[in-house]
Amino acid sequence: MDTEQQSQQTKASSEFEREPVPKSALLGFKSFIGMYAGEHCAGTELMIGPLFVAAGVSAYDLIMGLLIGNALAVLSWMFLCAPIATRKRLTLYYQLEKICGRKLVILYNLANGVMFCFLAGAMVTVSATAVGVWFKFPMPALTDLLPNSVGWVVAVAIVGGLIAIVAAYGYKTVAKFANIASPWMVLVFLAFGFIGLRQFIIATNTDIGSLGDTWQLAKTHIWKGGEPLPGQVKFSIWHVMFFAWFCNMAMHIGMSDLSVFRFAKKSWYAIATSAGMYVGHFMAWISAAILYAYQLHLDPADTDVLPGPLAYRAAGLAGLLCVIIAGWTTANPTIYRAGLAFQALSPKSSRFKVTLITGAIATLAGMFPAIAMKLLDFVAIYGMILMPMGAVIFVDFWLIPKLGLRSFYAELSGHGFNWAAFVAWILTLAICLGAVFSIGRWSLWFASLPGWFVAAVLYIVLSKFYQKNNPPRVSA
Amino acid sequence: MRPILQIVSLLALIALTLPSIVFLAGRMELNMVKWIMLLASIVWFVTATPWLWKDNNAEKQDVA
Repeated sequence: MDTEQQSQQTKASSEFEREPVPKSALLGFKSFIGMYAGEHCAGTELMIGPLFVAAGVSAYDLIMGLLIGNALAVLSWMFLCAPIATRKRLTLYYQLEKICGRKLVILYNLANGVMFCFLAGAMVTVSATAVGVWFKFPMPALTDLLPNSVGWVVAVAIVGGLIAIVAAYGYKTVAKFANIASPWMVLVFLAFGFIGLRQFIIATNTDIGSLGDTWQLAKTHIWKGGEPLPGQVKFSIWHVMFFAWFCNMAMHIGMSDLSVFRFAKKSWYAIATSAGMYVGHFMAWISAAILYAYQLHLDPADTDVLPGPLAYRAAGLAGLLCVIIAGWTTANPTIYRAGLAFQALSPKSSRFKVTLITGAIATLAGMFPAIAMKLLDFVAIYGMILMPMGAVIFVDFWLIPKLGLRSFYAELSGHGFNWAAFVAWILTLAICLGAVFSIGRWSLWFASLPGWFVAAVLYIVLSKFYQKNNPPRVSA
Repeated sequence: MRPILQIVSLLALIALTLPSIVFLAGRMELNMVKWIMLLASIVWFVTATPWLWKDNNAEKQDVA
């Protein structure tokens, strides 16, 4: 990449990064619908749906849990994230910098970048399972944590390497391609569901004459409930609900999407997230779950969660193409974003090199099936790690001024590191993880809810001490 | 040219989904569904790319 290209890319991506978005740049409602519907129909949906089945979820628990949990996620975007975004119109990072100081934002970026790398790794894993359909090398089983064959390592290295190179050279080109693939991908997911359902009807010799019959089939054959598969936590309606609510916790409660909704004319535009939730996190999860349940129905011993073979069995080459494109188009922006987060640590380093190195780390992560096979756990931890900073932003915006304290204290005081925010973040995380370790793994999906309140209270209490003992270096 | 491409790509999306619905109704073989889906996918990417690529150029890319 030459210097001119680099400067153009930097200019484009740095638009309004350190200023409120002006009125002339605001976007209409439609832009957000398209964006969310596409972004949340990703390669990882092909892992999550099957993992619900592996967790022994019942039909009622799954459907009701997803309906309620996704509604709570949409409400979180509408009432926690978007109102602040449309009032301040700042990126998450700039708003955090004003509250926490530049040095703490760098630390936050590091955490964010590492999590993005692992997430991209899971997406590379998904795409690589499609390669296995052609080359027939041994692929990881549900309980595998380490790479289990040379063929698998080579496949992930090639797929991940290609994704990283393309992300480094032409992130925007792939982003455009992702927009074109998006409606196609959504409909392939829908077709997965229809095909899987018919395969169940044939395999169980069920006579379907009404919706009631379909529901009966779902209850007795697809999502039977009962014991989870070995190594999985049993999922109840509460697990499904909280998972659906918190799987994008970093974006809504964690406030990452301040950077998105700063472009919205009105805060209610955040209702557009329901397009992503009910297409990607409802229809796509259900469709993928049906494919896996059918595999288990055919052979209960075949517990491998491998999107490639699942999609190929249902929809042939179109299904396989969907797995590759879904993994690729979602790993691409994730690697790019991780690269941006890491670049904040060393702003002078080339974005091209940083993206390549980030892609290499994601590829390495993708070789370890632990992340993809434990995706339900990983997503919960990801949200938990970034959630406390969302609480800090919420409190700083709504409560701090009412308590006689000052908002945007790092900017006001000239301090580069807000210890109150840092301690609130780390202590909340320690409390949440401590609770999970002492109560049990099942609580991982719930701990972030009380955790948010812990972070909020800690930040208020600590700010009282911090602001009193660290007076502004510059006048307001 | 653009309206024709738009119509064909829309038809491709219908052709992508319809066979799976017909299969669900028990009126088509799965192999046929797979072939039609592959064909519809190719038609979609060939016909949608020229006009959607252009639209994307006009859109603000930095929103995400």
